[in-house]
Amino acid sequence: MNSVKRKQPAGVWAALLAAILALVSVIVYQVNISSAGYFQNAAVTNQILYSVLAIIMLVVVVVLAQVKAAGAAGTVVELISGLLQIAVPVLLTLCLVNLIAARAEGLGFIYFSNADVLLEVQTPANLSSATGTIANMVLLGVAVLVSMVAAFFRTARKA
Amino acid sequence: MKAKRFASAMRGLAAIMASVLVLSIVGTGIADSYRARLDDFLGTQSYVTITDADAARFVSDYATIDEMKAAARDIAIREGEEGTVIMKNDNNVLPLASGQTVALFGLAAYAPYPYTSGDHKAGNADAVDLVQALTDAGVQLNQTVLDFYQTNILNKHTEQVPNQWTGELETSTAYDHIYVASPGDMTTYQIYEVPPTEYVALGAPADWMSQVDKENTIGICVFARGAGEGNTYAPGSAVNYAGEETGEDPLALSEDELAVIDVAKETCSQVIVLLNTGNTMMIGDIAEGGEHEVDGIAYIGCLNDYQAIGVANVLTGQVNATGALPDTYVADNASIPAVMNFGGGYYADYEIVARDDDPRYPGVEIANTEAGSFGGSNTYNGGMYIVEAEGIYVGYKYYETRYYDSIVNPGSGASSSAGATQGSAWNYGDEVVYTFGHGLSYLPYTQTLRSVEVDRTPDGNITAVVDITNNSDQDGYFLAQLYVQQPYTDYDRQNNVEKSAVMFLNSGKVEVAAGATEQVTITVPTKYLASYDYTNAKTYILDDGDYYFTAAAGAHEAVNNILAAQGYTAADGMDAEAVGTALTWNLAEFDDSTFSVSNGTPVTNVADDADLNYWTGEDTVTYLSRQDWEGTYPINYNEVDIYLADSPRADEWIAELRGETYTIQTGNPAAEGVDSGLRFNSADIQYEQLSDINNEYWEQLVSSITIDEAVGAVIHGGSQTDTLTNVDNPVVIQNEGVSGFTATYTDETTGETYRFNVHSQTLMGSSFNPELAYEWGLVEGNSGLWLQRYHLWGTGLTQRRTPYNGRNYEYISEDPMLTNRIGYGILQGCADKGILNGPKHMGFNDQEHNRGGISAYMNEQKFRETDLRGFEGGLSDADGMAVMIAFNRIGATNASHHVGMLQTILRDEWGYTGLISTDMMNNMYYFNAESMVMAGITQVADFATEDNHISLGEGGVDATWPYISVESVSGDADLVNQARENLKYQLYTFANSAILNVSTERVNTWWDTALQALTYGSAALAAITGLAWIVLTVLPDKKKEEV
Repeated sequence: MNSVKRKQPAGVWAALLAAILALVSVIVYQVNISSAGYFQNAAVTNQILYSVLAIIMLVVVVVLAQVKAAGAAGTVVELISGLLQIAVPVLLTLCLVNLIAARAEGLGFIYFSNADVLLEVQTPANLSSATGTIANMVLLGVAVLVSMVAAFFRTARKA
Repeated sequence: MKAKRFASAMRGLAAIMASVLVLSIVGTGIADSYRARLDDFLGTQSYVTITDADAARFVSDYATIDEMKAAARDIAIREGEEGTVIMKNDNNVLPLASGQTVALFGLAAYAPYPYTSGDHKAGNADAVDLVQALTDAGVQLNQTVLDFYQTNILNKHTEQVPNQWTGELETSTAYDHIYVASPGDMTTYQIYEVPPTEYVALGAPADWMSQVDKENTIGICVFARGAGEGNTYAPGSAVNYAGEETGEDPLALSEDELAVIDVAKETCSQVIVLLNTGNTMMIGDIAEGGEHEVDGIAYIGCLNDYQAIGVANVLTGQVNATGALPDTYVADNASIPAVMNFGGGYYADYEIVARDDDPRYPGVEIANTEAGSFGGSNTYNGGMYIVEAEGIYVGYKYYETRYYDSIVNPGSGASSSAGATQGSAWNYGDEVVYTFGHGLSYLPYTQTLRSVEVDRTPDGNITAVVDITNNSDQDGYFLAQLYVQQPYTDYDRQNNVEKSAVMFLNSGKVEVAAGATEQVTITVPTKYLASYDYTNAKTYILDDGDYYFTAAAGAHEAVNNILAAQGYTAADGMDAEAVGTALTWNLAEFDDSTFSVSNGTPVTNVADDADLNYWTGEDTVTYLSRQDWEGTYPINYNEVDIYLADSPRADEWIAELRGETYTIQTGNPAAEGVDSGLRFNSADIQYEQLSDINNEYWEQLVSSITIDEAVGAVIHGGSQTDTLTNVDNPVVIQNEGVSGFTATYTDETTGETYRFNVHSQTLMGSSFNPELAYEWGLVEGNSGLWLQRYHLWGTGLTQRRTPYNGRNYEYISEDPMLTNRIGYGILQGCADKGILNGPKHMGFNDQEHNRGGISAYMNEQKFRETDLRGFEGGLSDADGMAVMIAFNRIGATNASHHVGMLQTILRDEWGYTGLISTDMMNNMYYFNAESMVMAGITQVADFATEDNHISLGEGGVDATWPYISVESVSGDADLVNQARENLKYQLYTFANSAILNVSTERVNTWWDTALQALTYGSAALAAITGLAWIVLTVLPDKKKEEV
């Protein structure tokens, strides 16, 4: 096991970290829209689709990193892996922007309304829902940054 | 190695640039949707005003007046086509075959209601009546019957009659024998149908019957019921042709009318009855199993200039029948729970409200008796009341819920004798003749709910997709209706939240080819799924449980579909097997938060004092509840002695009945308006001012209005809005009426005249087509542009609480949601052409009898879910810009004084920014000026002009309310500021309408440019770095090293 860890390039570790962050963000998102509170049932269009697609791409990047190929095959693998590394931050950025756009008004409503409304709207369930959404945004943001960083590193092991 | 590192760097940069590209593209879209707020925040300007007259914001869709007229005519015909309801069609009596011979019976066949031009009939030269329409459609009319009706019985001619408002003599259409067009104010109503026994005496040939070829002739009998402002039918008030009081219901078919039907049956092979009215009639006698059963029955509403063409197109099968009943037809109106409390009566000690020491009117003796519907006597008029104890159970919501409970919850007393009129036990089939939403299609079809999605967010929608399958061999047009059943839970029972077993949501129509299936997508705001809990949560709630959605041809079919989906069958008491399915949407947990805030305003009780129990301090009123149909069935609360003096809140109650909702304060000086240099014109009003009522311009503008004019312009706001000195706003003339602008258009080149009030509210309601309503709204708006008139009282959205309201013909339906969706369409259409179309009469104008003072008591669930819901679609969901408030009181409070309804609900919860008008101000003691100002009224309808001051009376006081003067209101800054606030809404609305007709053009701000630069830059960099990465990756290793 230790030898496997030592042999993995930094790009693989970064991709794995990004995948885990994206996965956790999906779970947090799902819990957020399933739990009682302001954002219950407030699904964001294609959020799951894009996130899962990004996670799958990252997994493919990690798998391709284990393939030892030389010559033209090696170049093809490198190209595919590289394209996926470029596509992942794009998808995760899309998720993040869509999430922020969908939640901005709601969060503003919960935290920045006038005093009368705050009394009505700042229920424990709504505050918990808002916290969940913010956590979701933070996770996605970190996942975006990590996936961008990952794109700077090679994933192919030295032949 | 360097090259490989360089390739990785390029890849990383490509990833960042591609992400930035996505961010900028999506971000641009988001920024665009928040453009106004960004402009505010960043101090940028996205729009500039175009002053070029050719670039006006609102322009007519029609290049010529002929095109405009043709559009109006087309809509009217479509109202006839889509609104005609085939209620009964046995023995294939309909559609009429080409060349079919028809004998027309009944006065209304030759002079359909309304027969005189005015508010509700345009009376254009090219108008088409029923006789002409049928003839044009290829129907052969029996000449003998036609001749003796037209020539001998009706004998159309003209007469000079005084105008209702001005008293001036006008030439009007008249007949020797005609039905009574105005039922009067709860008086006797003569059903003046000429019985067959009189035919010969009036000039029909003695052998007229033998001149009808029975085997080849279908008889069509047309019967009308009149209507009118200030008119209310009185139950049991019918008078027959001979002038004898019969004690029958005026809305039942009379013996004379039934005799006409009988003679039609005697002389013709088949008989059809057409109902020409806006008031639902009692027609059990001619329905299935009735003593005078006929083959066909159709509802044709009230016919304006061209609707008869559409009616004839339906009767002859040129178009499929797609109309549906907007009301429930019952065997006996006495079975309607709302009828138990109708008309009203006095409090036992109503005289104690009268006084001669009112400090506002020293030395004046002010009575507390009924004032006329059109004024004539000034009194407090706070002596009479009704209790709307039926709650939400109006129309089908009562009958269908009781039917449902008779099967699912017999212990509720659903089958008890309470409210039964046809036997000792209540039975749906006996009480209901035709339900809401009923309407037969000539072409067989099925409607199946394919899917339903519920977006449970404050601004979310319910989206249902209905499959319409045309099972015939002809292409056709079809109607889909969406219904829902909300769960009725223990929580509801404990907290007196009532739920109808079925609720109409919305409808849509679609063309379907023979044998094909098409989908209709029906949407409606999710907020209407919520119920108002006035006792515990004191806000809107959604109960946990299953919500059953179904598509059905009427409320009863919908209930049966839901019952079947819940596992019930005919064996359990269902009167028919289900013909459709239901889909469920489940809510796992009780929700009292999603709809507890609206437009940033917490939604909670604002009308506790509309409940009579609030005043009596005890459970005087028991509201109808499905928990116990027998124990809660309404009694007549006018038969209960209610003493004002016994109330623990007697002083407060009496003050309210005297119109003292607000009292002018002293010691809080108001600032006098000073010219700020700003003006109401296209130079000062730019995009920022048009788009935001909170823009400081508006505050500055209205602050410049003098105290005299600020209060004066509000309390003397009708029938035109006058120019304010420091504002220079244009004069805006208000126009009638609910069928469209009554003003006459004169073609300057030809001198020809035309009137555009060609619409029929009744047929629009029975069309069940919100899209048609929108199209009419556009035509109505376009006609305003042609007439150069911009402010119209152009629809009626009051709920038809009972069949007896003399103005039901101006309204849409007994159902709030059908009214809501039709209102949405009409008001949005007008708004899109910049026309202020104010619906009448928000706030329970449930009867015309003593409309100017009667108290309507109710609980807050009824307050929010019935009449107000009918207005919510047009004023909250659509961009409606005007509304007229009801005449009556809500509880003890004049509807035009009702802060909860006008300020909290209309302004705050609904976010409405339009103008608010009273109805006719005809009683200075009932309409209290300062209370109307504080409630948010922007214009009091006093019918004068050039009178926007409170200094025009003798001695410099107000001309109507002499205790009001500049001096008396100057000490009340709250009052003066509220008047200016009200005018701010009004001026803002004028600015956003065709009155100012300013158009704006989008320009790029610096942040638009920055976003574009970011998009293009990141796209270029992404492409370059991506390409570099590919090249470096693909190049042979040696070459890479060289690089």
